[in-house]
Amino acid sequence: MVNRRSVLKIGAATVAGVLVKMPVSGRNLSPAKTHIAFHRAIFDERFAECRGFAAELHSAGVFTSAIRGDVAGLWYDDLRVHLREDRLPVAGLTDRAALFCLEELARDVDMRVVFRVDHTIELDGLAKHVAAAEASSVSATRRLPKEPHFGRAMAERFSRLDPRELRDAAAQKLTGPFAPEDKTMLVSWVIA
Amino acid sequence: MVLPPNISEADFNAAVNEFRAAVGPSWVFTSDEDVALYRDSYSIYWGEPEERVASAAVAPAKVEEVQQVVRTANKYHIPLYPISTGRNLTYGGSAPTMRGSVVVDLKRMNRILEVDEKRAFALVEPGVSYFDLYHYIRERSLKLMLDVPDPGWGSPVGNSLDHGAGYLTAHFRDHFGSHCGMEVVTPEGDLVRTGMGALPNSETWQEFRYGAGPYIDGIFTQSNFGIVTKMGFWLMPMPESYLTGTITVPRYQDFEPLIEEVSYFEDLSLIGMPQYGSPIGGGFFGPPSPDLAALMQNGWPSMGALENYVAAQKRPAWSVELNFYGPEETVRANWQAAKRRFAKAIPGAAFQDGELLAPPIPKEKETTQGDKPRLGIPALEVFTITSRNPMTNSDPADGHADFFAYVPRKASAVWAAARVMYEAYREMGMPPMHGPFSTPINYYSRCFIMATLVPTYRNAAKNARSRELFAKVMDRCAEHGFGCYRTSPAFQDRLMSKYSFNNNALLRFHQKLKDSIDPNGIISPGRYGIWPAKMRGNRA
Repeated sequence: MVNRRSVLKIGAATVAGVLVKMPVSGRNLSPAKTHIAFHRAIFDERFAECRGFAAELHSAGVFTSAIRGDVAGLWYDDLRVHLREDRLPVAGLTDRAALFCLEELARDVDMRVVFRVDHTIELDGLAKHVAAAEASSVSATRRLPKEPHFGRAMAERFSRLDPRELRDAAAQKLTGPFAPEDKTMLVSWVIA
Repeated sequence: MVLPPNISEADFNAAVNEFRAAVGPSWVFTSDEDVALYRDSYSIYWGEPEERVASAAVAPAKVEEVQQVVRTANKYHIPLYPISTGRNLTYGGSAPTMRGSVVVDLKRMNRILEVDEKRAFALVEPGVSYFDLYHYIRERSLKLMLDVPDPGWGSPVGNSLDHGAGYLTAHFRDHFGSHCGMEVVTPEGDLVRTGMGALPNSETWQEFRYGAGPYIDGIFTQSNFGIVTKMGFWLMPMPESYLTGTITVPRYQDFEPLIEEVSYFEDLSLIGMPQYGSPIGGGFFGPPSPDLAALMQNGWPSMGALENYVAAQKRPAWSVELNFYGPEETVRANWQAAKRRFAKAIPGAAFQDGELLAPPIPKEKETTQGDKPRLGIPALEVFTITSRNPMTNSDPADGHADFFAYVPRKASAVWAAARVMYEAYREMGMPPMHGPFSTPINYYSRCFIMATLVPTYRNAAKNARSRELFAKVMDRCAEHGFGCYRTSPAFQDRLMSKYSFNNNALLRFHQKLKDSIDPNGIISPGRYGIWPAKMRGNRA
């Protein structure tokens, strides 16, 4: 995890004209190029889909941070510090429990879930995708692949999003943290 | 937008404007999407007209702003609902007790005012979380251990005011019991310091809790008599060593002497919270084994049948893990003493030595350290660990409403409470969470908790059924004298109606206090059944 002192401010101009803060840490992948939209992409490194999501966004210039289920270290040691200063959007592909915790914690910085797609991976390994988002996203979600590379596809879609325009009330507090034990339930999300 | 009951839109808007003047416009939240952040994620009324949703939220940064908010609320009779971090899920979270209240979010009052290492206390504001206080202690290498609840994202102030608990020795894990001194904004905007805090120039506010005259701190717990803006806590000196040991006993009826011996060590403050279990009874989550299901086929088994079942399983009936804190010499000696006493009291008792650790756990090892809360390390792992379990397979809940019944610290009471809860579930046609091998939680050292987690959903029909189950469990337990010690706003009136000695004299006393201290009834109307006179109606 990174802390306040390990944050390197860079002056990379973005389309939005804001500064992006670059966290420096062994668990954070340095971006190949500077991305405009997200302060960070969070992924759960236990899941291949999430690793693919992170790799794709990393190559698109987004800083990425890994978790393994528990978000406490990420939030309290790192993310909260940055978001208190600049409430830049954060993207993620995690399990439900991680999103649930981050959503509750994000209230402290007056941020909320504004985009959400739930991915239920059945026993055959194929995923079903359900969006709680504006109509265009729902439509796009239908075209997501069922195979594990949907994480990359989701990231590609995120890289084209302008998170400042996302404000889907239906995405807020949509579920609790619980999921079936015999299926994997992942969620792609944006907190802004 | 939801408005507080019996408040005109004009008055509400005027109050909101005065809130903005008091705390700054960016710290008053009125948009639907902002107010939605304060919904209770585990609400058992999700999406229904009875869901306790706020009308607005206001986030003061200092005591004077809290006082101004309270004065404005009195002027317009606006109901307020103060929260510290607002993460007490299953007990209402950040949502108000009464629909339409304005949440007073104290997240900006997040200063750690003092931590005295040598005198082992802290003084904090309500927006300080256990993580914040833990990091403060760690960053300064203070030799203090914090007693944390699980999950640790709550606030010491809020947790103790709601009678939350942790895992260390008895007088630390009772979080209200370990507090010392508080500062309170009264419903009329006055400022009170309790205990030695009332004596100007005193340096013992966090050392002697009683001061002089009546001790009033307790009336600010689970209540609506003021907004607590500072609170002191006693902290445990960092122990040199932490040692665990596990005891197993062979027979079903060994549970009684096991509890008696554990209680001996508990009451001498030689151990942290004991962790009871049953090697053959299954876990808290999940259905019974096929063998146990067969045993339960014709209802609750007899003692003889249970003993035969245990013998056939060829595994111990019960286990308990003990945790010792202190110098290495004493923790080892206490574990040896435990072995001697348990072996003498319970034939066949077996012992397994645990690892000896030397707190504090190095930062780089924290992530992989198991059982963090018992080492005073706050965590959110409980969500990761419990979010997927056999009970969530077919129909994952979105949350749970917890019913924690307090039962006497003896085996017969544990079995009686488990059976009451088991039968309540059966009456509802739902799979019981409890059985003959259920074990208690020992948050408070002098009595046991038997816990039931009733699922909540984003679905009204399912929630209606959960509410029926919750009410049935509460009613059945109360009939047997098993009282729940806290509950979500949805059940607070029902809960307090159970504490009915002498025609509900306790609640009537609370109401008299309310009418005197908060004549306009602006603070948390309805919290734990305490309604202001104007809203009491036929509730009283």
